[in-house]
Amino acid sequence: MKCEWVKDNVLLYVYNELPDDARYELEQHLARCTDCTAELKTTRKFHAMLSELPVEEPSPNLVAASRMRLQEGLETAEQGRFWHRLIFDPAAWLRQVRFAPALAAAIFIVGFAGGIATTYKVVSDKGASIASGPVSSPAESSITGIQSISQDPGSNHISIKYNTVSTQEAQGSLNDQRIQQLLLFAARNNYNSGVRMDSVDLLTQEPNNTHVREALMYALRYDSNPGVRLKALDSLGAFVKSDPRVRDVVLEALIQDSNPGVRTDALRLLDPVRADSSVRTVLQELARSDQNQYIRSQARIMLSQLPEFD
Amino acid sequence: MRGLMAGQASRIDDTLLVREAQRGNRAAFEELVRSYDQAVLRLALHLTGSEHEAQDVYQEAFLKAYKSIGNFRFECSFYTWIYRIVTNLCLDHLRKRQVRKEDAPVATDATGEQYDVLDQVPDGRSGANPERNLMSRELGKRISHALEKLTPRERMVFELKHYHGLKLRTVGEVLNTTEETAKNTLFRATQKLRGALADMR
Repeated sequence: MKCEWVKDNVLLYVYNELPDDARYELEQHLARCTDCTAELKTTRKFHAMLSELPVEEPSPNLVAASRMRLQEGLETAEQGRFWHRLIFDPAAWLRQVRFAPALAAAIFIVGFAGGIATTYKVVSDKGASIASGPVSSPAESSITGIQSISQDPGSNHISIKYNTVSTQEAQGSLNDQRIQQLLLFAARNNYNSGVRMDSVDLLTQEPNNTHVREALMYALRYDSNPGVRLKALDSLGAFVKSDPRVRDVVLEALIQDSNPGVRTDALRLLDPVRADSSVRTVLQELARSDQNQYIRSQARIMLSQLPEFD
Repeated sequence: MRGLMAGQASRIDDTLLVREAQRGNRAAFEELVRSYDQAVLRLALHLTGSEHEAQDVYQEAFLKAYKSIGNFRFECSFYTWIYRIVTNLCLDHLRKRQVRKEDAPVATDATGEQYDVLDQVPDGRSGANPERNLMSRELGKRISHALEKLTPRERMVFELKHYHGLKLRTVGEVLNTTEETAKNTLFRATQKLRGALADMR
């Protein structure tokens, strides 16, 4: 009977899981049937009641702390990933080498003579004869990793793909897209904090560019050098009001940065948005229990300047 | 340079980020994490009721993703893949909790009612709604208890569908089963919950 079908499907209806035709039929039936309408009402009430256990947004504190902890975990995991990155299993590779003992020597000769991402076929029989691609001098190229090694089954043909890197130079102005891309890359990836500082410094001249802003946010969050973080923070400060993502990143810095200079600066830069609920919550927490006396008192001052509407 | 510039990465869709992450680009992986981590925390937080445990689930989930991203073959969306990892960890967590409860010491409260000493009660979280009154928190507690009576799978299906709005089809994919099975599990879970909460108005 129709009512039975409707009662079986009212749950799916409430969850918006019914296909359009079924939904239409159900709604048609409800228009004519008080019993089933009552059933729908009960189901909806039950649903509403379940939200007495509401899904809460994780606090900015929790998000920041989780991200930091993950970062540490990733650093440790990184070491174990070296072989993974090369996409080959060294044990299996060694097994192949056993069938062609001259191969090991041949590979390294081939490597230093190579260009970028070149594939070589090495035919190993009585001696290795190497068919090679373009050759450039060893000083200009070095191997960053071996990408893959495969051996044609039943033959001595081996194919090796490897990557090399060579130093190049780019020149241009800050408006040059290529220059911007390299600056963004340097800000994130360079091991030398001096280079990172230089790139962030240049990038702060263009914070309106979305990519640049994201790189600055990244630097504020993750750079290990407090000088770099401070530089990025100061540039982002102007956007705290207009861009909620910037506000959140600065809030994150205020909560968990290890450097007190960065934290006090972040606090100062958040003043224009101190009335925002997330900022206010953090200020209350800081005013109550922060270890740093200056931050505690500053937070209190900022809170006292807020309009009363609680 | 052939590699993706980190600054552009956030605008490009998941596919390219995943490929980069598979090549060992940690910045790309971190970018991916940032698209999903609040949703993951939200799920873990609501399910476990504890910030501490939510953080543990988060940590395990993303480390696992990082270590096994090389095995991701794009046969499903990255979204589904991540949710699958998190869900499996949540299921483990729920099973462990069940086992503990079976041996859990039982005590009697002021009204003479028995309760489990190890009960997970939603804790007071920072940034939570201070407006929620005592009554509402009591109801929340009872719902929490009722949810604990479900089997881990039932709880998971209900959680994903009701509290996080995933389509039943996705729920099926995430749990490595069919949409039909997910649907039936949802029905069972709802029936049980209605029974357990029947006297609540």
